[in-house]
Amino acid sequence: MKQKKKISMSPYDLYLHTLSTPELTALSSFWEEVDSHCTLSKKEKLRLRADYESALLAFAALGVPVGAALARMGVRHLGGFYARPAVLWYPLDDAAKIYPLSMKQGQMAVFRLSVYFKEDVVPALLQMALTFTIKRFPSFATTVKKGFFWHYLDTAKRRFVIEPDTGYPCRPLKVGRSGSQSFRVMYFHKRVSVEFFHILTDGTGGMVFLKALTTEYLRLLGVELAEPGSVPDLDAVSDAEETANEFDRADQTEKSAGFMEKSALQMSGSLSRARPYRVLHFKMDSDALKAAAKGKSSTVTSYLLSQLFLAGRYATDELQGEMSIQVPVNMRKFYPSKTVRNFAMYCGVRLPLQRITKAEDILPEISRQLEEKASRQAMSEMMNATRKMVGALRFIPLFIKAPAARMVYGFLGDKIFSNTLSNLGVVQLPAPLDGYIDSMDFVLGTALTNRAGCSLVTFGHTATLSIAKMTADPSFEERLYDLLQADGIDITVEGSAPCED
Amino acid sequence: MKINITYPQPGKEQALRRHFIAALRWPFLFAAFICPVINAVVGGKAWSAVVVWSLWMVWSGAVSPSLVEYNRISQSIKSIVNACVLLILIDWLLAPGWAMETVPIVCFSGLAASGVLFFTDLQRQKQNMFPMMLLTVGSLLGSVIGLSVWHEETRWAMAVMGAVAFSLLVGCVATLGPDFLRDVKKRFHTK
Repeated sequence: MKQKKKISMSPYDLYLHTLSTPELTALSSFWEEVDSHCTLSKKEKLRLRADYESALLAFAALGVPVGAALARMGVRHLGGFYARPAVLWYPLDDAAKIYPLSMKQGQMAVFRLSVYFKEDVVPALLQMALTFTIKRFPSFATTVKKGFFWHYLDTAKRRFVIEPDTGYPCRPLKVGRSGSQSFRVMYFHKRVSVEFFHILTDGTGGMVFLKALTTEYLRLLGVELAEPGSVPDLDAVSDAEETANEFDRADQTEKSAGFMEKSALQMSGSLSRARPYRVLHFKMDSDALKAAAKGKSSTVTSYLLSQLFLAGRYATDELQGEMSIQVPVNMRKFYPSKTVRNFAMYCGVRLPLQRITKAEDILPEISRQLEEKASRQAMSEMMNATRKMVGALRFIPLFIKAPAARMVYGFLGDKIFSNTLSNLGVVQLPAPLDGYIDSMDFVLGTALTNRAGCSLVTFGHTATLSIAKMTADPSFEERLYDLLQADGIDITVEGSAPCED
Repeated sequence: MKINITYPQPGKEQALRRHFIAALRWPFLFAAFICPVINAVVGGKAWSAVVVWSLWMVWSGAVSPSLVEYNRISQSIKSIVNACVLLILIDWLLAPGWAMETVPIVCFSGLAASGVLFFTDLQRQKQNMFPMMLLTVGSLLGSVIGLSVWHEETRWAMAVMGAVAFSLLVGCVATLGPDFLRDVKKRFHTK
């Protein structure tokens, strides 16, 4: 007996059967327009089309009529990005030059920014949001390449992809393959995270991208801005200043501050092989945090630094020496700039171990050091030192520079610091977008010898202090938790499970 | 302190790869250290140099490959260069007299194979041309120098290497046009 062949239909084919003739006609002309805006390889074109199909299915599931769905995904949002060949390339900015030189297997400067929505993420729409957002960030739509003297970023014309969040946070990116991305966009339940190789951008630049991606994702969901123009227009042409290496703008100072300092004490837990061993988020009420800082007549950054010193003191067995906390400084506050490339320097707040007793005792010294070391003068000196170093190395071939840099970086690394506190400040999104978002977080990439790296970002009424741990010893975070609680701050702790070491 | 886990559990394969590299590191380092020591104690030909280079080839090719520019062109060029160095070491230190013919043969065969890999996937591989161009220029120079100073019968290999390298260079320039110059500018920038 002849068996009848079963014809299996894809969900998209089934969806087509639900459309009326005018809708099918509109869809057909839509595909023609998409085709005319895309000159990627056949394989990439098919994948892009599959993204559109998945998005149409997602819209249908959300009850959005096909006409509205097509309007939201209109080809004007593709622009010319997928239709033009790759011609742009970017020399690395002065701060980024060290990252490809110092990376090795399992160790890469990666940081992570996340946004927590109030509803579960729709992956198909997030993919479309990335497809539409990336064109506005040409220096992110790149791949790392090796030149004779320096690495550089070469434009990669491809479909940039999202992925489910499956591995441990801030794990190294695979940037070696042809056209590979130097960032990854991930989703997990209500969270969208972007992990950047530091070669591309700093925290501020990364946040500009995440906000743009969030805005675009919410636009696809049908959320309209109350005031158009309050976020960058993704369909506008990119400004050269947005991809500029702003280190050239340093004030000419007589002095150039060096990077050398004596080694700082480290917390005592043994370093894990997996980096980071775990990530923790202390979610706090931002008003309570501000009140606690105000109660001690200090800023939030100084206050948190004092708590980190105290917790660090508790987490080390050493009795002598100095602890030092690295504080990245956003140079845009001294040199206003729209750049999304790296434009940050750092200073170190340093205290002898014996002096770390009570927050009240160390806060005046912390504030004094912050004011002095994070001043425009001090930062300009450091920028000049960076520029001079880059200038001195520029004609040395990469095959000589790279092993030397790896050796020096491996030897010195982050030993001059015990910890880091990077404060991205208060992030704002215009109404009504802010109503769809719960909170944000910011995780610093892997350290070499520091047992922890801390970072803070505030969204709405939630300040999230994230700790990337490099050791299984929980003394530091437990002490920090107790110290903050003692100051009247309620904390919800979230995070990753310990990594298998 | 109660921690609410909000991340997925990482897969085992990530830890496995890390453990694999960590486990291999010490045997490799031990072999790279002990071979020269044994060689120095026992005396005789410097076979340990060949061993150390071979260990490096395996380590950089299979265990801990390039982190940037890991593509079919760069990997094939890296293998060719490493193989040539290994052949030169064997010829120089252990069994002399054949490398002047063999190395050019390996070079032109490798160049021809890389050319095939390059031209069969031109759109994607044109960003990866640089390592091949370096070997092409190196082979051209080697051929010119070899033909000028070497007067044995085995000159044919040098001549073929030069011819293949020259053809490849011309082929790339002709195919890529302005993109070729743009790539050279990018690769040699000092900014």
